[in-house]
Amino acid sequence: MKRLLGVALGILTAIGGFVDIGDLVTNALVGSRFGLSLAWATLVGLVGICLYAEMSGRVAAVTSRGTFDLVRERLGPRAGLANLIASFLVTALTFTAEIGGIALSLELATSVNYLLWVPMLGLAVWLLIWRVKFSIMENVFGLLGLTLLVFGVALWQLHPQWGDLLHQIAVPHKPTNEGTPVYFYYAIALFGAAMTPYEVFFFSSGGVEEKWTKKDIITERINVYLGFPLGGLLSVSIAAVAAIVLLPNNISVNTLGQVGLPIAVASGKLALAVAILGFVAATFGAALETGLSCGYSVAQYFGWQWGKFVRPRDAGRFHLLVLLTLILAVGGVLTTINPITITEYSVVFSAVALPLTYFPILVIANDPDYMGDKANGRICNFLGSIYLVIIVVASAAAIPLMFWTKAGQ
Amino acid sequence: MTRVFRVAFAGLVFVFALSGCVGPARTTHTYESKAVRTANDSLSELQTALLSVQMTRRGRMMQVYLETVLSESEDAFSSIQNTFDSIQPPDTGRADQLRAGLDTLLSDGADGLAQLRILARRQDTRGLAAEVHKLTATAAALDKFAQEHG
Repeated sequence: MKRLLGVALGILTAIGGFVDIGDLVTNALVGSRFGLSLAWATLVGLVGICLYAEMSGRVAAVTSRGTFDLVRERLGPRAGLANLIASFLVTALTFTAEIGGIALSLELATSVNYLLWVPMLGLAVWLLIWRVKFSIMENVFGLLGLTLLVFGVALWQLHPQWGDLLHQIAVPHKPTNEGTPVYFYYAIALFGAAMTPYEVFFFSSGGVEEKWTKKDIITERINVYLGFPLGGLLSVSIAAVAAIVLLPNNISVNTLGQVGLPIAVASGKLALAVAILGFVAATFGAALETGLSCGYSVAQYFGWQWGKFVRPRDAGRFHLLVLLTLILAVGGVLTTINPITITEYSVVFSAVALPLTYFPILVIANDPDYMGDKANGRICNFLGSIYLVIIVVASAAAIPLMFWTKAGQ
Repeated sequence: MTRVFRVAFAGLVFVFALSGCVGPARTTHTYESKAVRTANDSLSELQTALLSVQMTRRGRMMQVYLETVLSESEDAFSSIQNTFDSIQPPDTGRADQLRAGLDTLLSDGADGLAQLRILARRQDTRGLAAEVHKLTATAAALDKFAQEHG
């Protein structure tokens, strides 16, 4: 019974923790401009994140070691360093976007300017990372993130033509007023938002924090194969409500307030309050995850003691690094660059950094020296290789498309 | 390694600089397409404000949420207007005509949004209804502009 509860909790937190500021903004923006004609990109990213999260979780369960520790050992210090720099920069940018996202969410609830919230939020994030147990952090924010299911309820209350929505997903047509390069630019943004690198580092490092063993692989697989797809459906429902409410009104999303507008239209005030709670929980949870991931990656690469399973004073360098990254992130938001702009760039740069993140995971998960009888099977390797090709194409196309479309204009 | 970092940093700065900047319009056609984009972007902000006021009047949105959305729309609208005004139009009569036509609509929209914010904060329901009526006309004119020149 206890194990069953653990599995259920894992699935729920996987759903609630799936969506972050990148998913919220990118899905709503794309829904408001392209309808559901780009839902395929989210679905492709979803399959990819399931595939690679399962691999990284399995690696953590079998080896009890962090990803970057293994990457450095398996690929050598130079390749490992390139991987570390790219992943750290993208994760730190995402961390900045998440802190901006919490502040914007609180502004919606209070109408107090988001910049005034930022220093207090920095302090709150640091205190939680410093003091609160890993499992409490993960479960509380994951469960509170479930309030975003209000988007699914809103979709149902809008009484859409379900056949029409499914047709838009199954037979995608680019809207005539949007150019082909812009269409593919946003496809890559959605793909990057779904496959954000930190999700994999956090998932595998979390496995080490929670002392997973080979026995936990089944639980880990259930979390990934059930929780993540349901989280992905939530992303699609965010795009769907934007497509139904905002697109016909000629509203193109560029603020968090616009993301919540369809909830007010469909379900009213109470649901909107629940959605704001969901925004806060999703961005706060993701801020903790990205902040920890920055610390995990560097500490694992350099072989420092890391994690929340030891007392903070025993992992001093890890906590100092998280604190320094947090100060940088808070400073980044305080520059007054629009957090939504930071978010839009973070998901595209995530796509650029994807090969450096996912290639080493495929290599290690396929290495019998590390994995023994839990190494990748043929199907897993086949799918992993196909995804690596997709990832490389998306990564190579992201920057040229950013130039060409002036960042999706 | 230092050289690699330098090149990477320069590249990053270049990407950010180019993807965010406003270029001059060399031909009337280019200027017209920028005007259409401006009309569409500003229309999006007006529609956001109008829909939010409508939802609040129906009791479907909180007052604090409305105030934030209106403030954000006003800021975004002002930024769109400034960006358009900073574009050097080509030396043609048609470009000047486009600029004059859109500028009037943008000024009306900016004034209307500011007024909407003030009235919303005062919770002046009657004033809001009148302002919504005016802004709806401006939104329709912006839509027409975008359709005619798009």
